[in-house]
Amino acid sequence: MAALTGFAERRPLGDNAKAWALNAPAMVVIALLVAYPIGYSFYVSLQKNNLKRPRAKRFIGFDNYTSLLSDHAFVNALKVSALFVVVVLGLTVVLALILALVLNERFRGRGLLLSLALLPWAMPGVVNGLMWRTIFDAKTGALNGLLQQLGLIDSYHAWLTSGTGAFLFTALAQVWNTLPFSVIILLAGLSTIPAELYDAATVDRAGAWRRFTEVTVPWLLHPLLIVLILETMNAFRAFDTIYVLTGGGPGDATTTIALLDVQTVLTFTDFGLGSAYAWVITAITLLISVAYIGLLYRKGNFEV
Amino acid sequence: MSTAVNVPLRYRVPWKKIVLYVLAAGFALYLVLPFYWIVAMSFMHEVDAISVPPHWVPTHPTLENYLGFVRPNAAQELVGGRAVSETPYSLRNSLVVATATAVLNLALATFAAYSFSRLKFRGSQVLLVLYLLTRMVPGIAIIIPFYLLMRSFGLLDTYLALILSYTTFALPITIWILKDFFRSVPRELEEAARVDRCGWFRTMWTVFLPVAAPGLVAAAVFAFMTAWNEFMFALFLTSTKAAKTIPVVAANFATDFNTQFTVMAAAGVLAVVPPLVLALLFQRKLVQGMAAGSVKG
Repeated sequence: MAALTGFAERRPLGDNAKAWALNAPAMVVIALLVAYPIGYSFYVSLQKNNLKRPRAKRFIGFDNYTSLLSDHAFVNALKVSALFVVVVLGLTVVLALILALVLNERFRGRGLLLSLALLPWAMPGVVNGLMWRTIFDAKTGALNGLLQQLGLIDSYHAWLTSGTGAFLFTALAQVWNTLPFSVIILLAGLSTIPAELYDAATVDRAGAWRRFTEVTVPWLLHPLLIVLILETMNAFRAFDTIYVLTGGGPGDATTTIALLDVQTVLTFTDFGLGSAYAWVITAITLLISVAYIGLLYRKGNFEV
Repeated sequence: MSTAVNVPLRYRVPWKKIVLYVLAAGFALYLVLPFYWIVAMSFMHEVDAISVPPHWVPTHPTLENYLGFVRPNAAQELVGGRAVSETPYSLRNSLVVATATAVLNLALATFAAYSFSRLKFRGSQVLLVLYLLTRMVPGIAIIIPFYLLMRSFGLLDTYLALILSYTTFALPITIWILKDFFRSVPRELEEAARVDRCGWFRTMWTVFLPVAAPGLVAAAVFAFMTAWNEFMFALFLTSTKAAKTIPVVAANFATDFNTQFTVMAAAGVLAVVPPLVLALLFQRKLVQGMAAGSVKG
């Protein structure tokens, strides 16, 4: 809203030129380091291009893309990624909503809990992976130790050796890492709800549940959608934690699309196919971001 | 909370309070216990750390795991020795790269953000959306051309390659955060300076930027943390201790089957301390920035 005051003011002639000049350095950097590489990566994706076989490098059109349809590893990775997004998103949203609602109340120790909530956010994905590796370990892990001392299991389990187990525990590790971001966004959304609405609802003798569904949820719809979109994108690109925790295994049970891409490029040095994978990821991400930006626009949140 | 309008005289069980505190305690444990475990482990001897049932507190605390990084002993040379000896270098590399990224980001973003907060110009909406779109580009989409580009410039395994790539990650979000902070700086300050016949650059330097300093610090912290935590680009672009950052070395611990968990835990703790301290120090500003970068658009 601060922008409105601009109208009242005298507008010097050079504003346009000045603004673009101020943006020039950032734009040059982004053009050189993002726009150009993206275009170039599309060009590479149309090539047979393996670093280990430089002589065989040639232009092959869309062959890398058409081969994706019958590429078993690719189709599997897409499935793993999609399922990973669903599980991580579901857990994150439910947990984040509850934690945000708790943090929105007044109670002793609220400040401490908020600080604690920033802890997973500050943790690098790689360290998150290391941490959960020591916790889930089959022979010495803290999870085994804890569950056994509580009498919930008789003997130590190898949590990460079955495909389903590895997938679920990787998802849990990812949720821990990405939870704070959603909590902060939801908390910011909650703080904008006028207290009068709750007072009015209370006067109308609405119970806690009705206050939640009729006041909180409608006001929270927009931040919730933002959380859904941003966390979908995060989960879809998830890499660091998985790489360290399972390396994509056992078999290909946790090989997400990002992991497959890195393997294709780093291990098999197949830059052509790797670029084709990357472009599929980009296309999907772009669709999600268009939805995100459209949403911000509809809400009139672009106050330039 | 004043939810009950007509409180009956008999005692009511404060269910709301009970639920609240139980949930808060549950979440506190969930958030802190995993981290506590690696911190505790990093101060344990190997035998205690892998004992069954586990020792939940270091009964014979030791600094051996940390001291091993600065003076690797013969035993560690054999088991996971390379990652151990590379840890101090990688901490230095991460520090240099993350600091340089923060500074470069600030320099570039300040100008752009100022234009969005003070000037009305054609195309500003489109430009803001463009910046936002850049932030959405998945790293993996540009990593291959980036690698080839750096290879042809001979920049593989250098700080510069990392700093440049992290700048592209952090720049859009830095601009968005700064533009919001700048808007909250009262315009009257600059106008007063203009009346005093201060030139634009002097006004910026002596009046505007000092007032906007908290926002600048928050944005710098964001950029620093982005660079410090990044893994995939570092994995591609670095190969020796000359440029490997701490996430890359930490990941080496994980892929090495001989690694002692206690040493790995110590490396993990070292890697998390700088971003954690920054997050706690600048908690309020960071929370504001996170919310500003997404909810308000």
